[in-house]
Amino acid sequence: MEHQNSVIKVENISKTYGAGESAVMAVKEASFEIFKGETVALLGPSGSGKTTLITMIGCITEPTGGKLFLDGKIIYDDGWKIHDTRQLRREKIGFIFQSHNLIPFLNVEENVTLVPIMNGLSDEVAKTKAKELLDYLGVGDKLNVKPSQLSGGQSQRVAIARSLANNPKIILADEPTAALDGERALSVMQLLKKLAKEQDVAIVVVTHDDRMIPLFDKIIRVNDGYITKE
Amino acid sequence: MINLAQKDIAHSLGKFLTTATGVGMLLGVVLIMIGVYRGLVDDASILLKDTRADLWIVQQDTLGPFAESSRIHEDIKHQIKLFKGVKDVSAVTFQSLQLYRNALPIRVFAIGYDIGSFYTPHLLAEGRSIIASHFEIVVDAKTGFKLGERITIGRDIFTVVGVTRDAVSSSGDFMVYFSLSDAQKIQFLSSNEQIRNDRARNSDQGATTSTANAIIATLHDGFDPKEVAQEIERWKHIKVFTQSEQLDILTKNLVERSSKQIGLFTFILLLVASVIISLIIYTMTMGKIKEIAILKLIGASNTTIIKMIVQQSVWLGVLAFIAGNIFSHSVVDLFPKRTILITSDALALLVIVILVSIAGSLFGVKSALKVDPASAIGG
Repeated sequence: MEHQNSVIKVENISKTYGAGESAVMAVKEASFEIFKGETVALLGPSGSGKTTLITMIGCITEPTGGKLFLDGKIIYDDGWKIHDTRQLRREKIGFIFQSHNLIPFLNVEENVTLVPIMNGLSDEVAKTKAKELLDYLGVGDKLNVKPSQLSGGQSQRVAIARSLANNPKIILADEPTAALDGERALSVMQLLKKLAKEQDVAIVVVTHDDRMIPLFDKIIRVNDGYITKE
Repeated sequence: MINLAQKDIAHSLGKFLTTATGVGMLLGVVLIMIGVYRGLVDDASILLKDTRADLWIVQQDTLGPFAESSRIHEDIKHQIKLFKGVKDVSAVTFQSLQLYRNALPIRVFAIGYDIGSFYTPHLLAEGRSIIASHFEIVVDAKTGFKLGERITIGRDIFTVVGVTRDAVSSSGDFMVYFSLSDAQKIQFLSSNEQIRNDRARNSDQGATTSTANAIIATLHDGFDPKEVAQEIERWKHIKVFTQSEQLDILTKNLVERSSKQIGLFTFILLLVASVIISLIIYTMTMGKIKEIAILKLIGASNTTIIKMIVQQSVWLGVLAFIAGNIFSHSVVDLFPKRTILITSDALALLVIVILVSIAGSLFGVKSALKVDPASAIGG
């Protein structure tokens, strides 16, 4: 029976790239569970398998073995894909990247409203929600500005607003503070933690930065494809 | 819904417009080629239509002066005129001439006709038709000659009494008009040296100044040209064509091969334009790989991505088409031969361009669908 607050459940999940002698096992039988409102850090050196792990949770990379449950539903079962993963990403998952990865030809408002509108929300409702989020994140005055005109910190805030715009159950962040200085990095992480609590969102953050560790509820260490410590 | 194609175009508008202009110039060349073909076909029939004749009487076993050499005695016209239904006749001669203006050669096509007959240069824009039997000439405006100007041809000097507009022969040469007797003299009268030489050789060229290339005739209302033609052919050793038969001969014999040539060239140009549009769309799509990866990552459907690429491609095609039209209309008058740009051709090209743009975008779409959303995430 699933824990009623379980949002991500990973059971013996593995990922192997290539086949035969050249096969590389990037993630080896990883298992863990993440609950609503939790902020979790995926820590590990470069090449340890944390990005592969986060892309499997984000339904971007298909596991070669094991089971993945998101929001109580089984998504992968021993190599079988059970769900329309693109729709699942659009409806339940928000992404934040190391370099904000905003769409350069859309302004701030359009970047934030794109996914909700794709999900069927009316333009007006999506715009109202985007304004609220951007105001909350302190960039509400940048609605009509293109990403190229924003500072690094502002861009990351817009990226956070975009990740929240579809009311996700999960936010997956890949080194969201890597491009920011210490003070701004801390501010962004504190903001993510606050959002996790307020909006009951599970946040998984891939990071190298040990200084951020005290801010997380749970730390998952990955080394050479294995979960070494939870 | 946010129109991604429109937003992307607006984001790099200058680059997009420059690309569209480049492709547009290529499409402009396609339009001009079609216009050259139209001009060729139209030019071919100008002379024929200008005669306003119902029948063409030509040398037996020939297809007439537009297809091959035709010589006929001028006086046959008097017998033709006696046939039932025939209203009026004119003997006509056709020949290519080289005139000189300010020492520069001008190639023209000369027609000689019976002054006082039904025939007159209907494209006359200035001055008058020929009245005097000798030494008057009507020229087309594009020859550069002006009213009252005097032109030396052979041993004689001719005065320009009339100027036509857009009067060209089937080969696109500008028309000039003479009285029949002058034209016969220019075409059939040998020089003194030639006459002496012919006498010494005891030879006879067979052509005299009473020779014409064809007799043209008009009919009274209510007479069927085909029936009258058959009646004339029954009695005379000549060949008679109706105006429409002569037009068919003209277009089939003279224009068909040229039009095929131009058609093939136009097709190749369209093919080149298609390849270029495909390459541009492919390159544009490759330049957006990261954005496409992000779109896929945040859950954009394939339909959304395909729509963005195809819409951009169609927009490129439509803008290029507009640019092509502006370009072709700007330069059309610079062409020495008539080039006719018509709306229906342009609309047909628009449909082709849209189809080509959609087809051209398929390579870009194929590449976009292969983009791995994971590539948007750093390792």
